[in-house]
Amino acid sequence: MSTGSTTAALLERCERLYADTALDAVRAWKGAHPGRLAIGHLPVYAPRELIHSAGALPVALQGGGDQVDIVKGDACFQSYICHLPRSTVELGLTGDFDLLDGFVFPSTCDVIRNLSGIWKLLFPKKYSRFLDLPQAFEASTGGRFYLHDLEQLAKELHGLGGLAPDDGRLQASIALYDDNRRAIETLYALRREAPWLCSIDEAFLLVRAGGLLDVQEHTALLRSFVDAAGARPKKREDRIRLLLIGAFCEQPPLGVLRTLERSGAYVVDDDLNLGARWLLGDVGPSQRPLEALVRAYLEQSTWASTRFEHDEPRGAQLVKRVKRAGADGVVFAAPSFCDPALLDQPPLQKALTEAGVPFFSFKYAENTGQFQGIREQAGTFSDSLKLWGAA
Amino acid sequence: MTQHTAGIDVGTSAVKAVVMAFDGDGLPKLAGRWRERILRRDVSQVALLAYEQALAAAGVARDRVSYVASTGDGEELTIKDGHFYGMTTHARGATWLDSRCRAAVDAGALHARVFVVDDQSRVLRSRMTSQCAAGTGQFLENIARYLGIRAEEIGPLSLAASRVEPCSGICAVLSETDVINMVSRGIAAGEILRGVHDSIALRLGKLLRAVAAEGTVVLTGGLAADTGLKGALERALGADGGAPLTVVSHPASVYAGAIGAALWGEYRLSRRRQDERAAAAALDRAPQ
Repeated sequence: MSTGSTTAALLERCERLYADTALDAVRAWKGAHPGRLAIGHLPVYAPRELIHSAGALPVALQGGGDQVDIVKGDACFQSYICHLPRSTVELGLTGDFDLLDGFVFPSTCDVIRNLSGIWKLLFPKKYSRFLDLPQAFEASTGGRFYLHDLEQLAKELHGLGGLAPDDGRLQASIALYDDNRRAIETLYALRREAPWLCSIDEAFLLVRAGGLLDVQEHTALLRSFVDAAGARPKKREDRIRLLLIGAFCEQPPLGVLRTLERSGAYVVDDDLNLGARWLLGDVGPSQRPLEALVRAYLEQSTWASTRFEHDEPRGAQLVKRVKRAGADGVVFAAPSFCDPALLDQPPLQKALTEAGVPFFSFKYAENTGQFQGIREQAGTFSDSLKLWGAA
Repeated sequence: MTQHTAGIDVGTSAVKAVVMAFDGDGLPKLAGRWRERILRRDVSQVALLAYEQALAAAGVARDRVSYVASTGDGEELTIKDGHFYGMTTHARGATWLDSRCRAAVDAGALHARVFVVDDQSRVLRSRMTSQCAAGTGQFLENIARYLGIRAEEIGPLSLAASRVEPCSGICAVLSETDVINMVSRGIAAGEILRGVHDSIALRLGKLLRAVAAEGTVVLTGGLAADTGLKGALERALGADGGAPLTVVSHPASVYAGAIGAALWGEYRLSRRRQDERAAAAALDRAPQ
């Protein structure tokens, strides 16, 4: 198979997975692994390693995107709530999630917390677990709390039919996910160094595919793409370099991402699919792997609007990230009514202004279908940096 | 040695391509230009054809072009080195066509927009017509077809009309209904066209006032060559009681977007070279 057809085939597969709101890929996995569990989890971060060590397939539930008409989902939420919980409820009520054996709701925000309650009412026979990720990042407090929570989760998964908690198995799962994180980082390094070889929507699709695939299969897919990408017949263009921030939970439609780059920019870093990149670096080998997973959460979590700012102001961290990516500017792309993203914008923008980093912002929903406004904003922003700025 | 850059403006009804020459005297010249209609064909193929024709008109080989810049709907062109937003390129093209330019009206097939620019071609303020197609090139072409006249006859017939038949400027459907009624009532084509031009000009004039345009207004886009529209705009601006504005057009106004793209492309090239020279100088100065 030629390089071009390799990358095209991989991307085609990822696009099919992106459109797979009915979870056919998970159905196929369960068919190939009879008796094993598939556990859905909401964004942003969930300890997929722990679910994997129970012999289960962790399934990232990312909403319905622009492919699901909301009929029943709207009945559960007020008009000022973001779109992701609506489409999640819609998919649940239409039976698309029936094949899942349980659901984990991380403490991302009030909306996801409320969704976990609604879920228990709507689906009382399904295992439904609210995972209260600690906001205290000291081992003696948040660490102890989180360790207890993960031990409970492991026991509950066992009770549901998963494998019994086992340090050796958890260590093996951690090693697989460490490898997956390295593969994702390699893809992002490619984006930083040669963004014309892999567009933002392609990178998004490649990482997102991991939400429905077995971790080893996903790692192999990423490596195959990166290995073949260098030979793609792509031309380097004169574009600005952008950092995209704010899209860590409800994901923008592909059209938004494509519009941003077509308007004259390379998005060289982002917080899309943030759960897959939440832990910075390896968890590593340990005699007590569950404690290592807890320690990694406390010490290696990326900065995010859903996480308490315990060490360094997020604005300062954003400025560092801009420099690391070699970005000329920042685009704040927040889902409508996303409190964590939108409430963070003023301090982040203040930090950027003080650092002399230009930015612009827009809002989207996962089912946004009109991109002209974003095209104009991105186009004029790109031109202003190329012609009168430092780009 | 002469350097060349190219601009390709992909519009709704036509692709405009130009080749600009830079001789080192600081005065870029329009070396070649071509306009190709989009008639149910792959737009990138039309763009490629227009580009090849502009190169042929300029007598320049493709490999002698240092930067190909796209604008308009040209984001998908794979031959480009960079893309610029339409308003940015029309602003640059308009100020190159007439250095007195302080505002421009870009009237194309589906939309019209006005903007105020500074002496560096930077867009300071802008306004755009609503989504309705009334008052744009596609609508005028439809009217000409109903009247059985050629596009190049529109302007002279409108200017020669001794009276005007008022026409709706709200939406294309209402306007076309108006025109059908006028035809059935035996109204002369020139009087109908003048009414259509007046309704377009009224909207454009209001947009120019909304952005507080001053001085010279350059017409760009497909309708810039329509002398009837230019006359109607001058009349509208003269009658609305606002500050006096001078409306100008240029034989190459239709190519303003492509010209602006090519000029910005050369600017990007020169900046890149400056940056490379500065980086090389810094390397030389660095302690070994």
